Amino acid sequence: MNDRENLAVVNVASVARSRRSSLIAAAVGVVVALFFVVLVVSSPEDRETAASPLLGNPAPVVKSTTLDNAQFDLSRRRGSWVMFNFFNSTCVPCRQEHPELVAFHEAQTSVATPTELYSIINDDSDNAVRAFFDANNGDWPKVRDDDGSIAVAFGVAKVPETWIIDPNGFVRMRFIGAVTKDLLTEKVTELQAAFEGM
Amino acid sequence: MGSSQAKPLSARLKSWPMWMFMTIVTVCLLAVGAGRESGPLTQQERIDVITKRLACPTCDGESVFVSQASAAVNIKNEVARQVASGQRNDEQIVAYIEERFGGRVLLVPRATGFDSLVWVLPVSVLVCSVAGLAAAFRRWRREQGLVPSDDDRAMVARLLAEEPEDHDEVPW
Repeated sequence: MNDRENLAVVNVASVARSRRSSLIAAAVGVVVALFFVVLVVSSPEDRETAASPLLGNPAPVVKSTTLDNAQFDLSRRRGSWVMFNFFNSTCVPCRQEHPELVAFHEAQTSVATPTELYSIINDDSDNAVRAFFDANNGDWPKVRDDDGSIAVAFGVAKVPETWIIDPNGFVRMRFIGAVTKDLLTEKVTELQAAFEGM
Repeated sequence: MGSSQAKPLSARLKSWPMWMFMTIVTVCLLAVGAGRESGPLTQQERIDVITKRLACPTCDGESVFVSQASAAVNIKNEVARQVASGQRNDEQIVAYIEERFGGRVLLVPRATGFDSLVWVLPVSVLVCSVAGLAAAFRRWRREQGLVPSDDDRAMVARLLAEEPEDHDEVPW
């Protein structure tokens, strides 16, 4: 072969290779585009309840005092359904959900297995919390968490959060964000039914 | 004089024994520095070291050590309590906080499990890129010559066999 023919062969081969490269690039592009479509189309999990490694496990030790200066020890609440609501009187969602909690708490007085509701005070002063409850009702114990140990034990970074603990002291449900009376009633009823069936 | 004259410094630096010597010294110094015991830490130093490894769960990119957010202060208090109690070492305290708040609370991802991809992927991409570039450069250099490889000939022969038209004349 002379130089001209060699050049022609090399050129044809390189054209064929560039076609192969184009195919590979197109395949990679399709895969990337598919990832992009999945990211755009998929929506975040729309769940009412949230995950936590504590779910199904014994609740952390909670010992503190209430705003009425009574001792509070979660382990002494065994036998009762317990609900913790992490709360701050300046947090807007907390203020918005408050009427729902009041309604839920009032409804619990007429059910066979009432759930005990406790507010866990998160980064707030006694006086501010007292003033808020005086103005907005809510006749349930408010538990101090001055050093934040209860919030850390439950992994609470933002309020409001609501947790349900069963009569055996196991964590059963976690709600991140504001809750409603209907949602709490529905979930508590489900949990109690499952618990009685165990 | 003549052959017995000493080489200039620049020439000696370019010689391989000098490079070897410098490499060995560097490796030794790094090994000594990495393995040096810095002595026991005070409780406050332990708290600082641990909280610098933890991300504030409600802030963007701030460590618990620097953040003044409520959640960060709570975590800082918890770390201080656990350090004071002496029941857990640093790793166990970090693991406790991670268990409560999830992996997002770690400023430096772990090198195990799914998180290890953070470390493995960049290195893999780098290695593949360098290998790909090396292969491309070699191919380009080979293609600069006019002598086609056997693969080239086979490929062209196959293409020519597929061409229905006259291909005696090469247009370029």
